[in-house]
Amino acid sequence: MDERIQRSLYNYFKKNGIKNFVGVPDSTMKFFIEQGLSEKNVIIATREEEAIGIGTGFILSKSPTLVFMQNAGFGNSISTITSLVQLYNIPLIFLIGWRGYLKNDAPEHLGFGKIQNELLELLSLQYKVITKLNWKKSCEWAIKNTKKGNPCVLIIRREHDE
Amino acid sequence: MNRKEAIQAIVGEIGTDPIVSANGYISRDLYEVSDRKENFYMIGSMGLASSIALGVAIKNPKIKVYVFDGDGNILMNLGSLATIGNLKPKNLIHIVFDNHVHESTGGQPTNTKKIHLEKISKSVNFTVTKISTKQRLVQTIKKFNKMSGPIMLVVQIQKSKKISSRVGIKPDIIHQRFKESINN
Repeated sequence: MDERIQRSLYNYFKKNGIKNFVGVPDSTMKFFIEQGLSEKNVIIATREEEAIGIGTGFILSKSPTLVFMQNAGFGNSISTITSLVQLYNIPLIFLIGWRGYLKNDAPEHLGFGKIQNELLELLSLQYKVITKLNWKKSCEWAIKNTKKGNPCVLIIRREHDE
Repeated sequence: MNRKEAIQAIVGEIGTDPIVSANGYISRDLYEVSDRKENFYMIGSMGLASSIALGVAIKNPKIKVYVFDGDGNILMNLGSLATIGNLKPKNLIHIVFDNHVHESTGGQPTNTKKIHLEKISKSVNFTVTKISTKQRLVQTIKKFNKMSGPIMLVVQIQKSKKISSRVGIKPDIIHQRFKESINN
């Protein structure tokens, strides 16, 4: 996803009421994170479950929140998603970097990249893959979900292999 | 002093300030001692009580936010202490009930017999107190009103003989009433 759209993603969320951005970095969305950091509006957690915990505290304080992470970190968080996010119905927006989307991505990305969407379906977590054309609609969908009280996931694809 | 006695002593001093309590016997004891809408019973997601409380503390700087944690629990999320120490919320009071064991899974040992949580938390910007008697516990909690956080209180406790009942409130209700209890 190109730099301009990544920065627009952050700005769009911010403009539309998402107050907090907390997560673990991913180069797949580095411009998105950079945009938030430049406004001193990002908390970098030590790992993904911690980010979800902090985000839950924000939600409990009635403050809409997005958590971002690599798909590997989403894998780390599965038990927290079932026993905190879904059990208590915490309407976080997840932004997950799809490492291993390209067949020629780094070998350590491929295994999780393959099972990521099936895992999301198994968890019954609603998700959308962001593209150049649908990003604004996808953000609107995510904001609508969080307002309704439902957690949901946006996937950002890794379209480079450096 | 066992955990339930310690919890009773603390809750008696803190009015309606919110508490995020860790899974296992800590939430169960709190539920039996004093069920209040300001309690967030975290019945799963071991390790995350301090992270949830950090989020609440950042958004509600005018009230004190308490974490009721265990030694096994915080050892599962030590990174949380570093994040809290970095963000330095003045209103966060992190209480660890330390019995050196994972009591609810059968009493298996944790690392805190040989490594010291008070030293770890001190090195990441917490103001630290360690106590083991009920009298000192009450005195210490009273002093927190005048102190600036993040505060770490390690309470040495004995294993309990009686087990408290499970939290009898649905998680969604725990969420809703906690949220409504905070007037931010």
